[in-house]
Amino acid sequence: MNVIPIAYWRNRKVYTRMIGTKCKDCGAEFFPPVRVCKKCGSRNLEEKEMPKNGSLLAYTKLSEPAQEFKEYAPIYLGLIRLDNGVNVISMIADADEEKLKAGARVQATVRKWTEDGKGGLVYYGYKFRVLQ
Amino acid sequence: MNLNAAILGYGAYVPIYRIRTEEIARVWHGGGAGPNRMKAIASYDEDILTMSYESASQALSMANYPKIQAILVGSESKPYAVKPTGSILSDILGYNSTLGVDLEFACKAGTEAMQLISGMVSAGTIDYGLAIGADTAQGRPADELEFTAGSGAGAIVLGRPNGREVAKIKHSVSYVTDTPDFWRRPHDQYPMHLGRFTGEPAYFTHTTTSVKMLFSETGMKPSDFKYAIFHQPNPRFPVEVGKRLGFTDEQLRPALLNDDIGNTYSANTIIALAKVLDMADTGDMIMLASFGSGAGSDAFVIEVNSRDDDDGYVPFSERLRNYREVDYATYARWRGKILK
Amino acid sequence: MSRVFISSASALPVSEYWTKSLADLMTDVASKAIDAANGVKIDKIIVGNMMSGYANHQEHLGALLASSLGMRGVEAMKVEAACGSGGAAVHEGYLSVKSGEYENVLVVGVEKMKDMDTPKTTKALAMAESSDFTQAVGASFISLNALLMRLYMNSYNVEEELMDYFPVIAHKNAVTSPHAQYRKAVTVEDVKRSQVIADPIRLLSSAPSGDGAAAVVLSAKEGPVEILSSEIATNDLIVAQREEPLRFLATEFAFKRAMQKSGINVQDIDFMEVHDAFPVVASLALEAMGISKRGKAPQDAADGRFNMGSELPILTFGGLKARGHPVGATGAYQIAEAFMQLAGTAGQNQVKGAKLGLTHNVGGVDTTAVIHVLRRVE
Repeated sequence: MNVIPIAYWRNRKVYTRMIGTKCKDCGAEFFPPVRVCKKCGSRNLEEKEMPKNGSLLAYTKLSEPAQEFKEYAPIYLGLIRLDNGVNVISMIADADEEKLKAGARVQATVRKWTEDGKGGLVYYGYKFRVLQ
Repeated sequence: MNLNAAILGYGAYVPIYRIRTEEIARVWHGGGAGPNRMKAIASYDEDILTMSYESASQALSMANYPKIQAILVGSESKPYAVKPTGSILSDILGYNSTLGVDLEFACKAGTEAMQLISGMVSAGTIDYGLAIGADTAQGRPADELEFTAGSGAGAIVLGRPNGREVAKIKHSVSYVTDTPDFWRRPHDQYPMHLGRFTGEPAYFTHTTTSVKMLFSETGMKPSDFKYAIFHQPNPRFPVEVGKRLGFTDEQLRPALLNDDIGNTYSANTIIALAKVLDMADTGDMIMLASFGSGAGSDAFVIEVNSRDDDDGYVPFSERLRNYREVDYATYARWRGKILK
Repeated sequence: MSRVFISSASALPVSEYWTKSLADLMTDVASKAIDAANGVKIDKIIVGNMMSGYANHQEHLGALLASSLGMRGVEAMKVEAACGSGGAAVHEGYLSVKSGEYENVLVVGVEKMKDMDTPKTTKALAMAESSDFTQAVGASFISLNALLMRLYMNSYNVEEELMDYFPVIAHKNAVTSPHAQYRKAVTVEDVKRSQVIADPIRLLSSAPSGDGAAAVVLSAKEGPVEILSSEIATNDLIVAQREEPLRFLATEFAFKRAMQKSGINVQDIDFMEVHDAFPVVASLALEAMGISKRGKAPQDAADGRFNMGSELPILTFGGLKARGHPVGATGAYQIAEAFMQLAGTAGQNQVKGAKLGLTHNVGGVDTTAVIHVLRRVE
């Protein structure tokens, strides 16, 4: 097993709905969720769904990913700035290198991340795609 | 059955990738082409869950995210034999207080979901429901089904008419028999079929019977409809069955999609409905008849009301124009046709 | 509190040790170091290692080594801080001696990676970052660095070619380095022509994996080299959550404290072993330490500022890139190399008149930074 099924289950709302956290004291937003505010140190945080739109800052084409992604190589990864200013690293769906320019507008969708072999679970989560 | 249901939102999703049937014929027959020009194929990271999510997101956005109490997913290509797609989708969409059910009836599982939820909202047992048809259909390599078996998903948000609905679903009928034109046993990757037997005894008999039942129960006739939507296993059958029933080219043509995307199985007629709803006007009547091997047909009478487009709404036909062609090797890799 | 000296150091050539186990590597290198320290009695053993559990199905490395050395009764443990494990182990050894509780402490850095295939190695390295939120989305360790390199190149308008001078420096120094994995010079052209692994990072711009072990004996008794300061600092684990991804804050913090505590001037440092896992890491580290201006480290490298014989030689035995990067051992290799430079036993790689050296070892992407300042005992 290359993925820990119970850990995936625990995090599924983060993975599929992009639920992060917002600090109730200073308003800072975080993704993935944090338990202590990185801005003001407060432990008073609430769940916050992240915006699904953003801009691409940088991308890489990865030819040798870790074993659970090996059969999908090459995979494309992007560093994305969401419209609330939060940065996220995500796989890029339907990647077309021509369109992977810094500043390109991107939008989150849900895609398959990996399958744990033939009989194992199928793992789904956010991926971003370049808007036409 | 008389229904008092309304389409509050709809969505259609077809993957961006296409393979030309010429390319399939080049590999297996040394040339030629299938009955259709291209078919849509899901990328390696798409399946009926992800495509259902895409189409449901569109439908829910159009319906303004009502409180969904039933999610029914019709498909013959579920990610799990045991583990409901409906519950995975419910979780991703953020609706947990809901029924989450998977249905299967070859190509008509999507319209079954539509009919069941229409019945539930008409009866008042739920206020809102989500009906989905989705498939990543697979034909055995070199089999004639490989030309047409495509990928796509369609979603409909249903409730009771509220004056702002996209359309009303007024009536529906179903007709089924034990007709073995096409089947797949639990552990097989690809379906079996009886070739031309799927034509007259299966597709044509069941479709014409259900539509005639619909006419007889409602007293309606072909000329009462602006549009007629039939299941499209290939480009020819929907036109042929429509003509036999007395529909004209003008009524049939707007729904046709098979030449561009192939047969999207459970999504087939729902995607066609989305295409037609995009162009329909208030008061237009739509006749929709699905077909599922095994075999059966569901038929519906739909009356169009109006649709308030979001600023960002892109009609389905326009989205369809943006596609990328892949070769047989890529298709074979993505769709698991290479032994590992 | 005691002052902390290094009595001896040893380093196995970084290689593929098909016939040797993890325990064999540790035992061999530790025996050499103990012999070189005239067989002193060891009070404590600290092993730096990142991935033995995953790679070799072996934990409990402290006891494994103590037992293998026949040192029943001695205190022993493993220290882990990803690729910074070796440096962190030396840090713990330093504190042990400094506390006055221990006279002689053996520190060993070890990693045996070559029992794994490439996808498994990639997975093991990715464990330096978040399992839940970084590995899960397909981001390997190299891809995080690739994103950073792209951001660096975009932000400072730096061409890929300029970044390639770091591997060129590393390989040049490795030619005469007895324990280097790749004793072969490369040119900027070679780097540019090599296979892309995670665009824009290429085979020749990424540190190779390997098996290796290095050891030092730390002592309260005066030896040839003294550790003036040993500092560890951390940065956000998840690179995407950093407000300024192009600032190596852990390195900044550790460097600042190391300078304060050792009381030296940066200008007096004669050489640096920088954590050059990738050119962008070397660049951002040199910039975090104020050696280069922001966005200018690659140009400084191209201008020859970091070559042997110039103002500030770096990677004097080949660095991570050419000496090799057996991850959890790397920090210990750097200390062993600094020892050789300051003890005057660096042979053909000797930095002439070296009196002060600095080692910079990183775990993750500047997630943990370990900095040591060492001086020659006159």
